[in-house]
Amino acid sequence: MAANSPIDLAPAAERTPVHTAQTRRVWPRLLAAILCFAALEGILFHTTFYSEIVEPDSTTGYMELQLRNEIRRPKPNRNQVLAVGHSRMALLPRVVNQEKPGTGYTFASIGLGGTTPRVWYYSLRAVDPTARNYAAIVIPTDDFNEPDTYDYQSERESDLHYLIARLKFRDLLEFPWTYRPKKLQWVAFRGILLKGFVYKRDFLEFLDHPLARIAKARYYATDSAGWYYGYGGVDTSLAGLQIDWRHKTIRFSERIPENERHQIQDTLFPTLPPDQGLETAYLRYWYGKIIEHYRGSGTKLIFMRVPRAPTSPPDAPPKLDSAIRQIASQPDVVVLDEHLFDQLEHPDLFWDAQHLNRPGMEAFSHILANEVRRVLGPPKF
Amino acid sequence: MLFNTPQFFAFLAIVLTLFYTAPRGLRKYILLAASYFFYMSFIPKFILLLLSLTAIDYTAARWIAWTHSPRSRKSALVISLAANLGLLGFFKYYNFFAANVAHLLHKPSDAFALSIILPLGISFHTFQSMSYVIDVYRREQEPITNPIDYALFISFFPQLVAGPIVRAREFFGDLYHWKRPSSDDVLRGLLLLLLGLAKKMVMADQFAQIANGYFADVSKHTGMVPAWSAVIAFGIQIYFDFSGYTDMAIGMAKLLGFHFPVNFRRPYLASSITDFWHRWHISLSRWLRDYLYIPLGGNRHGRLQTYRNLMLTMLLGGLWHGASWNFVVWGGYHGALLSVERAFRRENAPVESRWTALHPLQAVITFALVMIGWVFFRAATFHDSLYVLHQMLFVPHGHILIPAWLTDLALMTLLLALLEEKREWFEKVALGPAWAYGAVCAVLLLAVELIGYTEAAVPFVYFQF
Repeated sequence: MAANSPIDLAPAAERTPVHTAQTRRVWPRLLAAILCFAALEGILFHTTFYSEIVEPDSTTGYMELQLRNEIRRPKPNRNQVLAVGHSRMALLPRVVNQEKPGTGYTFASIGLGGTTPRVWYYSLRAVDPTARNYAAIVIPTDDFNEPDTYDYQSERESDLHYLIARLKFRDLLEFPWTYRPKKLQWVAFRGILLKGFVYKRDFLEFLDHPLARIAKARYYATDSAGWYYGYGGVDTSLAGLQIDWRHKTIRFSERIPENERHQIQDTLFPTLPPDQGLETAYLRYWYGKIIEHYRGSGTKLIFMRVPRAPTSPPDAPPKLDSAIRQIASQPDVVVLDEHLFDQLEHPDLFWDAQHLNRPGMEAFSHILANEVRRVLGPPKF
Repeated sequence: MLFNTPQFFAFLAIVLTLFYTAPRGLRKYILLAASYFFYMSFIPKFILLLLSLTAIDYTAARWIAWTHSPRSRKSALVISLAANLGLLGFFKYYNFFAANVAHLLHKPSDAFALSIILPLGISFHTFQSMSYVIDVYRREQEPITNPIDYALFISFFPQLVAGPIVRAREFFGDLYHWKRPSSDDVLRGLLLLLLGLAKKMVMADQFAQIANGYFADVSKHTGMVPAWSAVIAFGIQIYFDFSGYTDMAIGMAKLLGFHFPVNFRRPYLASSITDFWHRWHISLSRWLRDYLYIPLGGNRHGRLQTYRNLMLTMLLGGLWHGASWNFVVWGGYHGALLSVERAFRRENAPVESRWTALHPLQAVITFALVMIGWVFFRAATFHDSLYVLHQMLFVPHGHILIPAWLTDLALMTLLLALLEEKREWFEKVALGPAWAYGAVCAVLLLAVELIGYTEAAVPFVYFQF
């Protein structure tokens, strides 16, 4: 079939000059577009410009307040002990720093509910980039056997939101690929490259009431360090609770409402998938990253198991190749006795299935501070 | 593969690369293959329908041009129209017809219903194909001898699924006198592509959240304030959705060396309903004028005939949008408004009023009338339409549904529309200094990134037509 369209008939030679002229006009404009966009994106989100007015009561906001408060906190010497962790890290720095001075160390915490070891690594990198600020870092673990769960920590997209203000272009090489699902890898990659995608919801809320947001962010930036430091914990308890671990039954006191009973039941007796070592692999990787960050710095990394439940569950046979047991032999790594906090596993000291209440947190803080003092010895700096 | 997805942009990049690096003899085949691939990325089996219609209309046009017998010419035309309208009627209107028959026979509405999926873009490519065959029949268009060229005309991916409805002489003019796009066209094309994406994701998809929330259950909100705000949200959604799609289609065509007609010219600045239809979905209005309104007699046989022709054209135009009485009412409503305007307009008065002190008031009234029409277009049922209209006109309370930042955004786009109307900023930016081009592109990109709705790729509204 004979073609009758000049798409395929016009001689190439006729077009060369046009092509050159076109290139001269088009490419500078494309380059200008890319540069302008990169400049706008960079100024807004790759500096502290926007992260300082992010909604304080949000995932990113909480994390940024914690990190900024800790970075700003005066550290006259290196006798500083910093706790990282999630909501079960029950250290109350005020209790050990003010009520019971004498350890010789100043305690601080950047623990935040919902965070994971991946978040802890990047948080530590942010508050201690040269690994010279602290005598010790305290890192919690839930279970030395590290069973797999359906809530696989590696797949938590929220980690990206906690860390977005702290992730840098160089993290494109690692952070996204620590997620397993391809979709999350893409979301994380795009998020670090173009942070606006992660800040989107926050930005739209900001547009609704920009002045009120700025005022709120300033207020939190000024005052939140005191609020966090003064936090004392929850006053209620699960007193009267009895757990039959063998038959997986719980007897509740009458004060506990029905919906909380279900929550407690589900938390204490979760359905677990067959253990394929995914959790252990994940923890090995991120504990390894933290250890690598502090290698040779003289900072002790103190790993400890948090109180597990309102009554002590029976011990499962130890998983000898768990990450926590394997790192115990590394230099400057200290794994505290697994049963150190068993004495706190009492319903009077818990306010829900996993979290210590005020007396529980205070007791926890004293035990931890004394143990840290024992491990570190007298202050050296 | 929607225009507003990363997959589509990857597809477009591959097509552009192949098109401009392939030997010239292969280029139109690349475009055709890409167009069929694009179409099959939605529902592959409907490619058979597209191929069949292409073959029928190509053959019919060749037959019309070849034969000298008026009877044969007419037969070929009728066969072509019957094939197009028959398939369009079956896929789009069968269930509507069946439901009405069932209603008349007091049977359940789904008594005669079939499970039919509407082939993507059927309303657009059948109209485009019919216009070609009719033009050949009228001897206004030479028949296309090369079936590849004709297949490309029907399936060209930038406008395959939602227009603009391109006339054969425009498309083949570009194809047969194809020139590598000038740098101005490349710059215009890229800017249009970006502008269209921003219109869709920033404006249309955000306002859709409000309109969808309201129209999902209209009884949840009472009062004229939520009703007006939801209807205005829908008015903004559908304009930015459709014109965004069109901008992207025109932009892509420019990058490939083709020139599509303008489809929207700031319709919400119109000073009358007549003016509105000169600015809204222009390629469809033009089609309806040339192949329906004028053949019906247009305005050549007195006022009453003109009103009848306007009503018929708009009723069918309404029905073209979808198979429901709501669309018929919407078309009839516009037909009635056009007739009323016609009745009060002086003969030979210009449709587009000059910008006078009265223009803003006229534009506001026109806007309000168009919004009232959108109620029928958007509401799920006729009953819902009446309920919303009642709320809009007679229930004076309620809370505005549009958040402040979206209102600000809408006002900014209104300002941009006014500036384009009076100062043509788009052309100045497209052909202006590099910094201005770069800055506007950067702002559009940032808007897509920050404000664009990215929870999911939302299909374009007109894909369903």
